[in-house]
Amino acid sequence: MCGIAGIVRPDGARPVEEIALRRMARAVRHRGPDGFGLALGQSAGFVSTRLAIFDIQHGWQPMQSDAGGTLIVYNGEVFNHPELRAELARDGINLETTSDTEVVLRLLERDGLAALDKLNGQFAFAWWEPGPRRLTLVRDRFGIHPLHWTLLDDGTIVFGSEAKALFASGEVAAEPDLGGIDDVFTTWAPRAPRSAFRGVNMLPPGELIVWEGGRIVAERTWWKPDYSPRTEEAGDIEPIMRSSVELRLRADVPVGTYLSGGLDSSLTTALAKEASDHQLRTFSVAFKDPHYDERAHQHEVAEKLGTDHHVVDVGPEEIAGAFPDVVWHAETPLIRTAPVPLYLLAKATREQGITVVATGEGADELYWGYDLFKEVVARNAAMANPDDAVEIFSELYPYFEATGAARGPAWAKFFLEAGPADDPLFSHQTRVAATAGVKAFYADDVTQLTAAEDRLGQLRGSLPPEFASWSPLEKAAYLEVTTLLGPYLLGPQSDRVAMAHGVEARYPFLDHRIFEHSVRLQPDGKLQGLHDKIAVRDLARTVLPDGIAARTKQPYRAPQAAPFFEGNPPEWVDELLSPGMLDATGLFDPAKVAGLVRRCRAGRATGYREGMALVGVLSTQVWHERFCGPHADVFPPEEGEPQVFIKQGIDQALERV
Amino acid sequence: MSNVEQTAGTGTKAEIRAYVEENFLYMHPGMEVSDTDNLMALGVMDSLSFVELVEEVQERYGISVQDVEITEENFGSIGALAAYIEGKKA
Repeated sequence: MCGIAGIVRPDGARPVEEIALRRMARAVRHRGPDGFGLALGQSAGFVSTRLAIFDIQHGWQPMQSDAGGTLIVYNGEVFNHPELRAELARDGINLETTSDTEVVLRLLERDGLAALDKLNGQFAFAWWEPGPRRLTLVRDRFGIHPLHWTLLDDGTIVFGSEAKALFASGEVAAEPDLGGIDDVFTTWAPRAPRSAFRGVNMLPPGELIVWEGGRIVAERTWWKPDYSPRTEEAGDIEPIMRSSVELRLRADVPVGTYLSGGLDSSLTTALAKEASDHQLRTFSVAFKDPHYDERAHQHEVAEKLGTDHHVVDVGPEEIAGAFPDVVWHAETPLIRTAPVPLYLLAKATREQGITVVATGEGADELYWGYDLFKEVVARNAAMANPDDAVEIFSELYPYFEATGAARGPAWAKFFLEAGPADDPLFSHQTRVAATAGVKAFYADDVTQLTAAEDRLGQLRGSLPPEFASWSPLEKAAYLEVTTLLGPYLLGPQSDRVAMAHGVEARYPFLDHRIFEHSVRLQPDGKLQGLHDKIAVRDLARTVLPDGIAARTKQPYRAPQAAPFFEGNPPEWVDELLSPGMLDATGLFDPAKVAGLVRRCRAGRATGYREGMALVGVLSTQVWHERFCGPHADVFPPEEGEPQVFIKQGIDQALERV
Repeated sequence: MSNVEQTAGTGTKAEIRAYVEENFLYMHPGMEVSDTDNLMALGVMDSLSFVELVEEVQERYGISVQDVEITEENFGSIGALAAYIEGKKA
C-alpha cells in the first residue's frame, strides 16, 4: 500500500520539476511512511511513497520494466500475485522481484488493460507508456483505494492518491465544489467523479481513464456491480470466503483484524485465526459512553478465538481532539464523527506494530444486512397491507433518535410517505430525507445554487439501463454499493483514516468472487423477513458460538454533537462556528448555525437530525480552513535521497520513438 | 367557550409555539409564523422533524396519537395542533 502522484504534460511542454514531485510525495507520505521513490523525465514525473508489505527489500516504486520500458506507480495489493507470477513464468516472463507491483506491470505489458480482469485485489495505479506517451489511471472494483486527477488548461494531467497531492503540485488550487459538498448532505459523500473540490476528479470505482496528447482519450468502466440474472448456481459461500480470507492474509508482515463484535468482523476474525500462521492480533474501538460501547461482545469473541486483543477506549475528548485531522485526511465534509474512532484505532494498531488488518466491511451491502433492505421490504409490503408494516418500522434504525420519546405512528408515516415505489431511488428516499436536514443551514444563495443542480436527478440519470429490470432489493443493493460503500464507508471511514497512520485495511467480503456469489444467491439466502445475511450467518455458526452468529446488527456509530460542547471542548470549535468564520466560508447561514450552536451548548441537540447538522457544519468549516482558507496546509518538499530515482529511463523510450 | 377553557387552550398553544420556535424555527431567522400557517408548507418542518414533533406531543401531554389522526387538520399548524391536543385531553 502506498501513496502515488504524478504530473504528465503534452509532448514538448515545459519540464516537470523535481521539487513539485517532492512536495506531492510529502502530501501523501502518511500513506507510505517507509520511504519514497521518484521518476523524472522531460515532461513527465512520478512519485511513490511506500508502505512496504510485499518484497520489503526490492518492491520499491516507481517501477520500470526495463530501461525505457513502461512504468507504474501503484497503490494497493493484488492478492493473487503468486498465481499470476506463475502464469507469467509459463510464458517465459521471469520477474526480478517478488512484489505484486512487478506482476501487475508485466501483466499490463503482456495483456494490456485486459489484465485487470485477472487481478484479485484492491488498487489504484498509474501506468505510463513512454512510447505513445500514454498515461492510464485505474481504480479497483469497489473503490477501496482513492485516485484523484485533474486536467489543466494546457493539457497537463496531475494525479494523486489524495487530492492534497494535486494541491501540493502548485498547479491546482483548492476551491469548494458546491455540487460535491451537496452530495455529502444528500448521500453522505461526494459521488465520483465529483469530489468536494472544484475541478478535482475522483476516479470512480471500477473505472479507468486514458490520457494521451493532452486530453482524455478514453474513459471506461472495466467492472461494475451487476445484478443481472445469473444462470449459474451460487454454491456454498464457505470455500470462497475461506479463500478470500487466506488471500488477504498474504503479506511479508503480520496481519491483524479489526473486531467490532458484530457478525461480519467476528466471522472474518474466526476464519483469519484458522488460516493464520501466527498469533492473531485483534483491535477494537470501545466507547467510554456505554450507549455506543460493544466491548463486551468484542471480548467474548476475542476470548473464544484466543486472539491477542487490544482495545482503544474512545471518549468525547478524543473525538473532538482528532476531528480536524480526520477531516484533513478525509478531504471532504462529514456528517458523522464515526471515522474518528477508527482513525484512533488505526493509530493504536500501528503503534502495536501491525500495518495490515482485515475487516468485515462489505457483508451488509452484499448480503442485505442493513435495515435499509428491511425497510424496502416493509415499505413494499405496506402498499398491500399498511397494518403489517407499521410494526416492522418500529424495529428499524434504533439509532434514529429523535426526542428520545417512544416512537409514534409518525415514524411509520415517515417511511410510508417517503416517496413513490416507481422512483429508482425508492430504497434511499428516507436516507436522503433524513440527511437533507443539514441543508436547512445553508446560506440562501447556496440553497438556490444547489437546488438548481437537481442532485437526485443526476443520480437517477447515472443509473445503468439494466437497473430498471432488477428487483427492489437488488436496486437497493446497487445504490448502497455505489453511493455509500465506495464513496463513504471505504473512503472517509476506512482507507483515509487507516492510511493516515500507514495501516492497510483489507476486506475479505469485497473479493469480487464473493460479490458474484451474493448475486447468484437466491434472495432468501440473504434476507428472510427480518432475518438478514442468512448465508453469512450459516457459515458463522460453523466457526463461532450461536449467540455471536445470531447477533443482530448494532450499527457502528459515535457521539455526534456532544464531544464539541461538553466538558472542555477545544477552542477551535467556537472559533470556526463564529459568524465571521461562517461568513468567510460562505456556505452556511451564521444566524441559523447560531441557533444550532445554542441548542448544542444547552445539551438539547441530542437527536439524529441536529447531531448530523452540527457535524456537517463543523466539518465543512474545518475542511474549508485546512484546504481553502488563507492558512491552508502547505506541503514542504520530501527531503533526502529517494529509494528509487529513475531520471533517464523514462526518456530513453522517447528517444527510441 | 368558557374562560377557563380559553386559558387552557392558549396555554397549550403557547407551549406548542415555544416548542416549534425552540426546535425548528431557529433555522428560519426572521420568519413569522401565525397560528394557522402550515408548518410543512412553509418549510419550517420536514418529514423527520415531524416525527420529532409527534413524539414530543405524545411524551409531553401523555396522549396516544393514532396513525389516522396524523393529518394536516390535526398537525398542520400550531393552532390546529393545540386544538387537537386539547380535544384529546378532554
